Amino acid sequence: MSHANDRLFDHKLAREWKLKKSRAERDKRMTLQEAIATLVEDGDSIVETGFAYVRGPMAAYWEIGRQRKKNLVGIFTPGGMNTAWHEFGGLEGAHVAYVGVEMRGLISPFRRGVEAGTLKIYSEWSHGALALALRAAEQGVNYVACKSMLGTDLMRTNPYVREAKDPWTGEPVCLVPAMYPDVAIFHVHHADKYGNSRIWGPSVNDTAIAVAARKVIVTCERIVSSEDIRSNPYQVIIPHYCVDAVCEVPYGAYPGDMPGMYYFDRRLQERVVRIEWKTKESTKEWYEKYILGTKDHYEMIQLIAEEEGMNVLEYMKRLEQLSCDASYFGLGYWGVGGERDWKYEEVAKRAI
Amino acid sequence: MSEVQYTPRELLACVAARLIKDGESVFVGTGLPLVGALLAKKMHAPNMMAIYECGAVDPEPRVLPWSVSCSWTTYKAPIILSMSSVFGHSRAGYADVGFLGGAQIDMYGNINATCIGDYEHPRVRLTGSGGANDIASLCERVIFMGLHLPERLPERVDYITTPGYLDGPGARERAGLVGGGPWRVITHLGVMGFDEETCRMKLISYHPGVTPEVIQQFTGFELIIPDDVTETPKPTEEELRILREEVDPCQLFCF
Repeated sequence: MSHANDRLFDHKLAREWKLKKSRAERDKRMTLQEAIATLVEDGDSIVETGFAYVRGPMAAYWEIGRQRKKNLVGIFTPGGMNTAWHEFGGLEGAHVAYVGVEMRGLISPFRRGVEAGTLKIYSEWSHGALALALRAAEQGVNYVACKSMLGTDLMRTNPYVREAKDPWTGEPVCLVPAMYPDVAIFHVHHADKYGNSRIWGPSVNDTAIAVAARKVIVTCERIVSSEDIRSNPYQVIIPHYCVDAVCEVPYGAYPGDMPGMYYFDRRLQERVVRIEWKTKESTKEWYEKYILGTKDHYEMIQLIAEEEGMNVLEYMKRLEQLSCDASYFGLGYWGVGGERDWKYEEVAKRAI
Repeated sequence: MSEVQYTPRELLACVAARLIKDGESVFVGTGLPLVGALLAKKMHAPNMMAIYECGAVDPEPRVLPWSVSCSWTTYKAPIILSMSSVFGHSRAGYADVGFLGGAQIDMYGNINATCIGDYEHPRVRLTGSGGANDIASLCERVIFMGLHLPERLPERVDYITTPGYLDGPGARERAGLVGGGPWRVITHLGVMGFDEETCRMKLISYHPGVTPEVIQQFTGFELIIPDDVTETPKPTEEELRILREEVDPCQLFCF
């Protein structure tokens, strides 16, 4: 078995794989457990989607933890909440543009792993250059010539990019090769059962990643009819033919932000990043209690809510109100005069 | 009239806001830059346009966003681009100012956000570039905000994540970089700029209660201190009112 890095820039392998995928409108619904079990293999490279802690597929990441996948290689643009895998053998190395949670700070398991030399950093990137590597795969070009990373140590610590002279002007450019990750998991607002996926808010690199990656899992807040998608394709960012599995996972981005639906669980995130994951021992305790000790995402959320002394429905409602009062007070997140097309009670009841 | 009371972070936010001109586009990082940009928009720069690396352009956040990509950062943005597009538009010339933070900045304005110590065996591993390298490579001018300590402002950074003037005059051009490079450095002690000839950091103003000598003591290299350095103007009551009541009422940043 080759190392994930040997497959990462192999455009022939990526094409061969995609030629074999069915284009048929096939019902791809399955449970999250099943999707992770069949599509995420030990040693795969896995690219973060959305903006990591915004519309990131957190439920899927926790499930990868529960299934104890081994030696994954992370591609972080940005990313990092899932680097806790490292301390359980789940993450062997990383290609890094950014790992952290902005002003909430660094993510301790990642930091500890890199400082101890157990978590290998295979390449350093800027967000823009890594976005272009994925975009190059989507656009069908071998590489792009860009103006990021030049003159810095990023060039020196990234074996995949190359400095070259622009053949027209003679100026230095940074050549960024097309990147083809093994696995991508997306969390979206709506998907039909074939995998066509609709979002609100930023798509970040998701369309490019969906085409670049070999294996694609979509988790969604809600499965909608294909007729719904076909009637309004304008916010559809992932086409069905890229997708291998569709899982309905309401609150799948928790404790992250889901644009227009629910906000970060700020208290939990702060606590996890600043306190609970501070040492290897405390990370282990947290992980064993909340991830390995729960059967799924909803049992985890329930546990967190109960520890705050709250009913789980009330707890989620609070996150929704905190965040986007836009949808509560008719300020038009979903469009001027538009009605919210779901009610938290309905989604929550099905989920929990 | 009693003396206006303010916190160091409030001063920083006001200084940042004043550097933004009306009608400019500003590529905004998280934290204090975000506060400065929102304050500028509510004060003297109503036509300022914010750009965020998640792809949101010119949103109208009703509360202070918690991230450069959260629900509020994209709220009422007339368009949300992809990440590669938003940097592409900066390269095309649509981004005037880039607003950055980082762990270290050196005398040539190079920024380190990757590691403290040797890269292979880091003492502290930091976040990595994120969009910072792209912002500093592609925007016309760059403003840096951070703490002012000798180890935070060393002669040379441990790792160049984000390009300033690299190793001096002409280096950006030789490297093929597009934007104009570092323009201002705002710290909790003062405001710095860069000498046109040598590309080295120079003092522009010192904050109230600080002297140029103190700033030099807290700088890890020899700072150029021109004769015309002045005291940074204090926040006005109007600036503080808007900051406290409209921009950051929950005191997420300016505590």
